[in-house]
Amino acid sequence: MLFIDIVKRSLRNLLTSKARTILTALAIAVGTFALTLTLGASNGAKEYANNIVRSNFDPTELIVSKDPNLFSRQDATKPQVYNPSFGSISTFGGETRQVQYLNTADIAKIATTKGVSSVQPAITVSLQYITRDGQKKYIGTLAPYNSYQKPELLAGSIPEKIQDNTLILPQGFLSALGFSSAKSAIGQNIRLSVQNQTSLNSITTNPLAALNSSDNKSQESVFKVIAVSATASTSISAATSLYLYTNINQVESLNNYIYSGTSSYQKYLTAYAKVTDGTNLTKLNTAQSLIKGEGYSVQSVVDTEKLITQFISVIEGIVTLFGLIAIIASLFGVVNTMYISVLQRTREIGLMKALGMHRKDISRLFKIEAGLIGLLGGIIGSALAVGIGTALNPAISNKLSLGNSNLLIFKASQILILIVVLALIAIFAGLLPARKAAKLDPIEALRTE
Amino acid sequence: MIEVNNLTKIYGKKDTAFNALKDITLNIEDKSTVSIIGKSGSGKSTLMHIMSGLDEPSSGTVLIDGVDIFKMKEKKIDAFRASEMSFVFQSFFVEGNATCYQNVLLPLEIAKVGITKRKKMVMEALKAVDLEDKVSAKASTLSGGQKQRLAVARAIVNKPAIIFADEPTGNLDSTNGDKIMDLLFGLNKSIGCTLIIVTHDPDIAKQTSMRVSIKDGKIENIEKGRK
Repeated sequence: MLFIDIVKRSLRNLLTSKARTILTALAIAVGTFALTLTLGASNGAKEYANNIVRSNFDPTELIVSKDPNLFSRQDATKPQVYNPSFGSISTFGGETRQVQYLNTADIAKIATTKGVSSVQPAITVSLQYITRDGQKKYIGTLAPYNSYQKPELLAGSIPEKIQDNTLILPQGFLSALGFSSAKSAIGQNIRLSVQNQTSLNSITTNPLAALNSSDNKSQESVFKVIAVSATASTSISAATSLYLYTNINQVESLNNYIYSGTSSYQKYLTAYAKVTDGTNLTKLNTAQSLIKGEGYSVQSVVDTEKLITQFISVIEGIVTLFGLIAIIASLFGVVNTMYISVLQRTREIGLMKALGMHRKDISRLFKIEAGLIGLLGGIIGSALAVGIGTALNPAISNKLSLGNSNLLIFKASQILILIVVLALIAIFAGLLPARKAAKLDPIEALRTE
Repeated sequence: MIEVNNLTKIYGKKDTAFNALKDITLNIEDKSTVSIIGKSGSGKSTLMHIMSGLDEPSSGTVLIDGVDIFKMKEKKIDAFRASEMSFVFQSFFVEGNATCYQNVLLPLEIAKVGITKRKKMVMEALKAVDLEDKVSAKASTLSGGQKQRLAVARAIVNKPAIIFADEPTGNLDSTNGDKIMDLLFGLNKSIGCTLIIVTHDPDIAKQTSMRVSIKDGKIENIEKGRK
């Protein structure tokens, strides 16, 4: 029998028992529905995570640290041994840890590494306050602007090189500083103040004395707003969405002012080493190895992405397992349905054998029927998942504040593979009934009442 | 020509062994009409099953045009049956949910006849049994006589050399039974096939050119020439 004839005959047999076929296919559809949603959610989560990483880190930069444990997981349940040579203590993620800082000599050394075009310490300036005339004072953070960021702007524009005493104001500060709109903020002056840390030391020992002291060293600077950035859904945290941005030199200058006279002066937890032609992964990896060879810890954006997506993959694996269990359970339904089909069509099988149909073709007929049930279940399940998922995507994304990102991202290739795999698994489930049909004695089959 | 030589069929083993056919030898000429007659359990259906290659003998040979069919490989014997033989059964064995066209198409699909030739062949077969107006009707909607005519159409569609008919009128009233037999004998003449009928109806046997009487698995008598 030609393959096309077997397929047609299988289809006709399935249509003859519509209810049974649909019910069996629906059992498979439940598992497929779960798996399609899992794949969609996993795609969405990975893309969102990658968006966050790509929006907050320059992919051509390497994050360098002197501390060997900064990028690795430490057992936080065990106390860390004190090392007098480290000389500084830092709070990191809420815990107290002793870390090694990079100094200017380290920065200079890293800058000489082959393939590294520039090195910039990773610094953000904690502002004493930010204000404008007639408005309240707010605390804030000033960070260096990197051209890879390309934030969505509500007003103004960002030049190739940000001039001194100009900044990008985040949307969150607009009403706080008394601006009626983003456009009205452009060209307006705001004042930023930083305070030297040596004066703060007295605060920790005698707060009242410090507050009344005239020794408090602080510096106020005037900045002109050149652009207003929209609150990004890809901010690492809510706090970073309130960062003000200016050029690196000014951030460094203010940072030096804050820490001058302290042990933290010109000491940095991490630095960004920009790699020449860093979009080329080989060059990025080579530079990473060279810096590592000089005794530093190095992490690339790819490493960060891997770390995040690894976590997502674990969750995805667990949910996929549940989906697979549902599919395996439904396959017993396919086996059962096909056995019933063989029993009901015993005489038909006998006739086909008497007319010269080879047992391989008989077996193929039932295997294809099982495969078509799997195919139908796969199509129903994935179509429902895509339909419902697409309809609910805007509401879910809005609820989770994902901005323009979607929680569920369906990829046609993945769904196609899933459906094909399901059909193949269903064929596998149909093997035993097909074998039974193929082995039927035609005479006995024709005698069956 | 079909040559049956010293055919024996034993079911079961040792104490439960049952000798269904005992040393059967007979020759059937091409394009002849043969009736195998005998009481229920005499072994006539077993003989038909072995001659058609559906069952294997315990010993003996069946040669069709000089070829021992039991020396053929399984796939070859299937292909031989698909192209050279067909069957009409007492219980019709038509697919109720399929149309008359689809029922008659089955042997052509099994014999891998080219798709372009099929329609003409099916229509000719349906016309031969006077069912051309039922092409698209579901087989389940046909009467008993029509169903058996449909089975005959299915049997002749690929113009086989041999038609085996196992009690073809067993489930029909005499009027429809006569119609079916007229049809089968007519086809024997028109398409020139060998017609082998298993029956216990002496009236049908009388119309055949050769009558093989079987009793308790043995040939009791072979008569030639129409009565």
